[in-house]
Amino acid sequence: MQGIAVPISVVPGNSPIHRINPIPKMVWVLGILVISFITRNPVILGGVFLLGLLFVTIAQIWPSYLRVVMVLFPISLTLILLQSIAPAFPQPWTPIVAVGPFTIWQEGIYSGLSLLLRIMCMTTFAMVMIMTSHPSDIFASMQKVGLPYTMNFILTMTLQLIPILQSEFNTVLKAQKSRGLKGTGFAAILPSMVPVFVGAIERVQQLSISLESRAFGSSGQKTSYRQVQFGFKDALVLAAGALFSGAMTYWLLVDKTLDWSRTLTFSPAFALILFFGAGIGFLLFIAFALRLVLTA
Amino acid sequence: MSAKPIVQVENVTHVYSRGNVTALDDVSVTINRGEIVGLIGQNGSGKTTLVKHLNSLLKPTKGRVLIDGEDTEKQSVQAMSAKVGYVYQNPNHQLFARTVQDELEFGPRNLKVDEAEIEARREEAIEFFGLEEMRDLHPYRIGFPLRKLVGMASIFTMRPDIFILDEPTTGQDNITTQRVYKLIHRLRENGHTVICVAHDMILLAEVVDRLLVMRDAHLIADDTPRKVFAMREVMESTHLAPPQITQLSLNLKKGKVVLSVDEMLKELKS
Ligand SMILES: Nc1ncnc2c1ncn2[C@@H]1O[C@H](COP(=O)(O)OP(=O)(O)O)[C@@H](O)[C@H]1O
Ligand SMILES: [Mg+2]
Repeated sequence: MQGIAVPISVVPGNSPIHRINPIPKMVWVLGILVISFITRNPVILGGVFLLGLLFVTIAQIWPSYLRVVMVLFPISLTLILLQSIAPAFPQPWTPIVAVGPFTIWQEGIYSGLSLLLRIMCMTTFAMVMIMTSHPSDIFASMQKVGLPYTMNFILTMTLQLIPILQSEFNTVLKAQKSRGLKGTGFAAILPSMVPVFVGAIERVQQLSISLESRAFGSSGQKTSYRQVQFGFKDALVLAAGALFSGAMTYWLLVDKTLDWSRTLTFSPAFALILFFGAGIGFLLFIAFALRLVLTA
Repeated sequence: MSAKPIVQVENVTHVYSRGNVTALDDVSVTINRGEIVGLIGQNGSGKTTLVKHLNSLLKPTKGRVLIDGEDTEKQSVQAMSAKVGYVYQNPNHQLFARTVQDELEFGPRNLKVDEAEIEARREEAIEFFGLEEMRDLHPYRIGFPLRKLVGMASIFTMRPDIFILDEPTTGQDNITTQRVYKLIHRLRENGHTVICVAHDMILLAEVVDRLLVMRDAHLIADDTPRKVFAMREVMESTHLAPPQITQLSLNLKKGKVVLSVDEMLKELKS
């Protein structure tokens, strides 16, 4: 059961990152988002990614983080595979080596690697933020910053809905198994999708009734049960985030030599290893996932 | 009724990894084929945890559980489902099909029962539980008591040897409670083994042969309802009260402990 569940929610802890106000953390996430989108330079993206892993270490959320990465793993591998033979990159492309009917392109490898790193950068920072901030704290801080109440509610509910859906999914799967459902691959998972979503909608309906009966959206000054502090340290982290992403953005926009798409060349051997490694990895993953589902 | 053990729980301890809760602490119990057993205890005493071990939904942290002589450790929930039917305490956790009718067919179809037989069982269950009017409705659209009956009916169509009812009468009205009585009597006639978790002492006094009492993850009593109800300390320490008529006979301190009004009348006349 734990094998399938991916808890994308707060991981209880008391690391320095847990203790920081959610707002500075969000500034970091936004900053990294911008940086990841304006550059394709693998070294810079790699550096940002390593910085993210450093934060993961400080926050002590490796196990939960790895579970999320596991889910991204097959997506990453297909990305490399498809990009190598059909780059999402302006023509002309430079061929490296031919594999049967396909050609592996220089730009394809570059684009695949940089897209992969982009995804990893963004997920890593987003996960550090989500896994170290209690949803109620996020809610309370957004409220302070002045986000409209309803908007804020939608945002935080979405974050909380993911773990709810996951537990709902496990519940239904167990119920079906206790009535003899034989699991064979995805066929075992699919019938549970309908009840999970029906259950979720049912839950949302009940939620809206209980919200209204507790005066949701009433006007007037609101106070929050959870108090969030914004201290000197938080200001420092916020400033660091803004400065870092600001400076990086400026540098990346100005320095044209950072575009390595035509200068960084990959050897045929490297291209082949990457291509087949991703292919074999993908197949292994499918086999592994099927076994997991079959024995669950 | 042969005295062959169908359920053997041997020194089972269960620790929920979330919150590190010890919900069962070295519990052992043997249940014979055809026995109707009641399980009582306060909320949180571990009743649900114990019965979930019988169909392999939970595996023991320590100890072992044998069903019909087979260790559940190596058995999947799917394989167990033919033998052990578990009616969830919360029907919302059990029901998932789009209509009541589909819900009743789901189990037997997984057990590869042939279609004619599935239909026969379905119709019988609809008749038995009085579900005719809601057969095409979504289980979520019908009221809680009836939804719970649908949960029972969905296991009833599977005809398992062992029937586990987790608080079948909690939150039920009079009519649905009567159906639960009827169900247990019917199961007894057909020689099924029934384990019924309940807070409804009147139900238990009437239908069960044997009563297990749990407190704080331990099994603290195991005897006939008549004897268990007379164990004052056991009953008080679990904050459970025997049926009023039984309390009366206990307080009279003469004659035998009675379980029903009829018995009391007989006792008074003699
Ligand atoms: N899934 C779970 N995770 C963690 N703790 C649980 C879980 N289910 C039950 N518990 C705990 O185990 C204890 C026994 O629960 P349960 O078996 O449901 O009791 P009962 O059915 O007698 O009310 C309780 O303290 C409960 O909080
Ligand atoms: Mg219970």
